[in-house]
Amino acid sequence: MIAQLVFVGLTTGAIYALIAVSLNLIYGTMRLLNIGHGDMAMVGAYISFWLFTLADVPPYVSFLIAPAVSGLFGLLLYRGMFAGLLRRVQGDAVEGSSLLVFFGISMVVQNSASLLFSGTPRAYRYFDGIVEFGGIAVTESRLVALAVAVVAIGAVLAFLKFSIWGLGVRALIQNRAASAIVGINVDFAFTFASVVGFALAGLAGAVISMYQAVTPFMGGPYTTVGFVVIILGGLGNINGAIIGGLVVGLLETAGIALTGPNFRDLLIYGVFIAVLMLRPQGLFGRKGAH
Amino acid sequence: MKAPSWFAGPIGGALVVALLAAFVVPGMAGDYGIEFATTLVLWIALVQSWVILSGYTGYVSLGHAAFVGAGAYVFILTWGAVPFWFGLVAAGFTSGLLALIVGGPCLRVRGPYFVILTLGVAEFVKYAVINIEASLGKFGRLMIGTPEPVDIYRMAVGLAAIAFVMALVARYSRFGVGLRAIRENEVAAEMTGIRVRWLKVGAFGLSALVPGVVGALMICRTGYFEPLQMFSPQLSLTIITMCVAGGSDNPWGPLIGALFLNILSELLWDSAPELYTVILGVVLVFVVLRMPEGIYGTAVKRLARRSRKAVPGETTP
Repeated sequence: MIAQLVFVGLTTGAIYALIAVSLNLIYGTMRLLNIGHGDMAMVGAYISFWLFTLADVPPYVSFLIAPAVSGLFGLLLYRGMFAGLLRRVQGDAVEGSSLLVFFGISMVVQNSASLLFSGTPRAYRYFDGIVEFGGIAVTESRLVALAVAVVAIGAVLAFLKFSIWGLGVRALIQNRAASAIVGINVDFAFTFASVVGFALAGLAGAVISMYQAVTPFMGGPYTTVGFVVIILGGLGNINGAIIGGLVVGLLETAGIALTGPNFRDLLIYGVFIAVLMLRPQGLFGRKGAH
Repeated sequence: MKAPSWFAGPIGGALVVALLAAFVVPGMAGDYGIEFATTLVLWIALVQSWVILSGYTGYVSLGHAAFVGAGAYVFILTWGAVPFWFGLVAAGFTSGLLALIVGGPCLRVRGPYFVILTLGVAEFVKYAVINIEASLGKFGRLMIGTPEPVDIYRMAVGLAAIAFVMALVARYSRFGVGLRAIRENEVAAEMTGIRVRWLKVGAFGLSALVPGVVGALMICRTGYFEPLQMFSPQLSLTIITMCVAGGSDNPWGPLIGALFLNILSELLWDSAPELYTVILGVVLVFVVLRMPEGIYGTAVKRLARRSRKAVPGETTP
């Protein structure tokens, strides 16, 4: 029973971690607060759903197509809007403005989807067999979700750790002004963060669509959870986002098992408020480092 | 103290407009017109209350829905047990009290942390109310014997006038100077002896009074209380859009923003509600990127530049 709960918590948490890592990549480098992040996941979910329903394209192919589309969207947004915004405004104003811009984008994306596809929840069946091992029963789609999240997060971490460009991105997260002075290509790092950040959100959506109904407004809760996780792990802290995602996934599962699904949101927001008030720098952040 | 005489004009003007709106409009407009006017006036009350904290200090709050919902909840709980007016006042003061309680700890964090925290607190309050209601076995509450639409409209006009005067006085008084100093540079403001903490918490409390009453009037209109609807984060976000579209450094900008978006909504809502929200989003993105001071702020700047040009031989040879 406990093992089962832990496993479910980990699969949920892995997807949260995937969303939070990509959200943090965008925040950490550019200081943009993307409250439309969950909506990118929604776009990925629709891509996966329609490809499967209309063209019989299996979801694992969508795992490549959805991120490509949402990554392209990120590239266009960066080139078309945020590159200019980041040149003009600096400091705290970036965060405030970006929040409003992304809120606007989120409204446009959500309601366009609602106009095009109506609000009807849609779902399809794939990887829905049940696998049993060591007393744990789990659907295949959850296992696939876990695997995809691990591979995607692993790839991002490896890139950040082992490549020279990744080093540049990490330096940028630490200190933007200093990294520009030592010759790091800030524009490249911003482009990278936009494309990869958005692509991972689209990927997460494609994965989620296997086990959750797709609606135009499914993204909101994922955005909220994403922010809860990155506040837990510390804004801009990539490793913190991974641990935070797993913690929230486990907490949520344990909370639901112990008290019932009604208290899930109360629990998540309760933890969130407590962390923000007691340790605004995140569970693993140092004081004064932001 | 010269300040009060400065206020006299706009406050008198607001009074005249409110009286006209309250007693002339109902005679001219039909049922539909009154419904539209009530919606508009309630939004005006909400945006005016929002600028007191978020417009002047720059602490952007996503928590207004919590105050609307809390007011509505108190009002429905006391419905029938206390006189109508007492219920309205209680709704306002409960929300104000809630703001004073959460304001202390919330206002210690700044920038994006504050924005996200207020959203979190609002959602927490929402789910708390939902769980309380569920444990009482209630899923929405009905009200019987709510006032006539015209009376609700007149109360809404009065409330909007109060909210406008509050926002105006808060803007041009010593209190408002302190608030705006916090927005420009909080550390410097504290250094010059402004009691930053008191001002912020005070402004938060003040800005929560009106939304509590708005919440009460909103459920009077529908005759129904449903937590998911009354605590909707969409409400907070729409308030922000109106304020940002108009410009949020003074009471006039939000007034224009609320007018603009309400008329837009009225034109589109019927035929294409989703299209309305899409356009709302486009407007928001456009304003933030192209006119960061909002419609009112940009217009004032343009006019100032033009009148300077109109004076011959003053600046340029």
